[in-house]
Amino acid sequence: MSAVTHTATPPRTALRGLVLLVALVVLVIVAALWSLSVGAVPIPTQTIVNTLFNLDGEQQTYIIMKSRLPRMVLALLAGGALALSGSIIQAVIRNPLASPNIIGINSGAALFALVLVLVFPEIPQVWMPLAACIGGLTAAAFVMVVAHYRNLSAIHLALIGVAVGFVFEAGVDYLLIVSNDSESSAPMIWLTGSLWGRTWAHVTISWVPLVVLSAVALLLSYRLDLIALGEATATGLGLNVPRQRLLLLLVATLLASVSVAVVGVMGFIGLMAPHIARRLVGGSHRLMLPVAALVGMLLVVLADGIGRAIAPPIEVSAGIIAALIGAPFFIYIMLTTTSEQDS
Amino acid sequence: MSILVKGVTAGYGRDRAIVENIDLTIATGEVTILIGPNGCGKSTLLKTIGRLLKPRTGTIHADDLDVLRNHPKRVARTIAYLPQSPVVPTAITVEQLVGYGRAPHQSLLGLRSPKDIELIDQAIAATGLEELRFKPVAELSGGQRQRAFIAMALAQDTPYVMLDEPTTYLDIKHQVETLDLVRQLHGAGRTSIVVLHDIAQAARYGDRLVVMHEGRIVAEGKPADVVTPGLIRDVYGLDCEVYADPVSGTPVATPR
Repeated sequence: MSAVTHTATPPRTALRGLVLLVALVVLVIVAALWSLSVGAVPIPTQTIVNTLFNLDGEQQTYIIMKSRLPRMVLALLAGGALALSGSIIQAVIRNPLASPNIIGINSGAALFALVLVLVFPEIPQVWMPLAACIGGLTAAAFVMVVAHYRNLSAIHLALIGVAVGFVFEAGVDYLLIVSNDSESSAPMIWLTGSLWGRTWAHVTISWVPLVVLSAVALLLSYRLDLIALGEATATGLGLNVPRQRLLLLLVATLLASVSVAVVGVMGFIGLMAPHIARRLVGGSHRLMLPVAALVGMLLVVLADGIGRAIAPPIEVSAGIIAALIGAPFFIYIMLTTTSEQDS
Repeated sequence: MSILVKGVTAGYGRDRAIVENIDLTIATGEVTILIGPNGCGKSTLLKTIGRLLKPRTGTIHADDLDVLRNHPKRVARTIAYLPQSPVVPTAITVEQLVGYGRAPHQSLLGLRSPKDIELIDQAIAATGLEELRFKPVAELSGGQRQRAFIAMALAQDTPYVMLDEPTTYLDIKHQVETLDLVRQLHGAGRTSIVVLHDIAQAARYGDRLVVMHEGRIVAEGKPADVVTPGLIRDVYGLDCEVYADPVSGTPVATPR
């Protein structure tokens, strides 16, 4: 071990963390403003600032206030929520490859939300987050119950989650095929993880649960540190591990499900953001969770903006852009993560 | 003042009980070492006292505290428990890990009080980890990791410390280092209960040995009284000669 060289000086993690947090906030704001300016009708930043603070202009005001601003708000909310959800699930399952997508939550939420839209179109959209939550909880509960009774390893848990995800995805595909085309094209776009056609109505139905759940997640960040030490050590430190694990997974599942209800399935955010955050500030969740949330916001806002900027007036779903960035990153994680724990 | 185990029967799931009707008193100020062959129930008994396993019957008290009925956090202020080969968290420094030892004394957010900081510093100094303080635990050697986890248990500042096979996977030097640390805990007024495999080490480092066999306690007492050819034959099924360790004078069993 070459440990003894430059040793006991504190690496000023606190200061570094703070600087990083501020830098990320600035980045998120810049990216958010940029996302307001790009699209079929490019709008100069000057106009955007004017619009946001003075409300002048006419056509631009309409586009910004009715179309791009709610999209931006949703991108921030969902990006943060998916990142928090992924961070929690990775800590609880102690598997760096876990994410709400991998353990089947996203597909469960998508299927139930889709059933609501296609099979019961008369039910107002306000209920979509609730339907998605029931779907997400069903998937998560199935995985958890099996894991609990068979006392499974993290690897088995992830594999069962993948299988459960496939079952729900098959249900989604079936619904899309049997419903007639004109009806299903909108859900199809929504399912690829798109902010297209999102309005203030979607913000209205999702912002309260997402903000509350995110706050709860941040409050539980220290417990997440203890849970990540494994059941035995955490119990020794006075934690009721089964109960805390359940609570944390519940919060993570609801965060991902509500996001799916409003922005569809954005596969890689919940996987990527926690890894980027851990590399930036280490594994202590009190700092890592807020950083991950900001990274998630940044990724989704950027993905949405890029999707609009590539070939206007055509839009590429944010989920597709996120996956295009995500796939290489996923491979990179696979290649660099040392197998330090095979629990 | 002691840990009092009464009529404890415990096992996993619906399987047969691993330990049956155990009565045990662990006196304050001693290093008690649990030994016995594989599957004798020594780790299971330790897990039960450490609240990792809920016993089917029986009671456990630490001083006046009902271990099984009180809030886990309250119990964790009295008993520290370190599992065998604990999970090493990703991207956590030694200092953060030792800090987790304060969790039972802290609120939800884990903010450190001046006393927390003082005890963390003391634990790091006592285990000689000053140089490695800001190193990720995952990058340490096996012996250093074990020291870091013991430092965490020290920071927990409990009268009782329980260690499940703390020397597993360590080479002989680090085994001795770890056991010296256990003696040091004892010097600092802690009562420790340790599960070990090696009979000679148990005899050398323990004030009292508790021998288990097939889920029951078959012998307990001072090492010199407990480690006899007869007991080794009965418990391990091995024909041994017992002699005094030339360095420590404690009994060592060598197979014939």
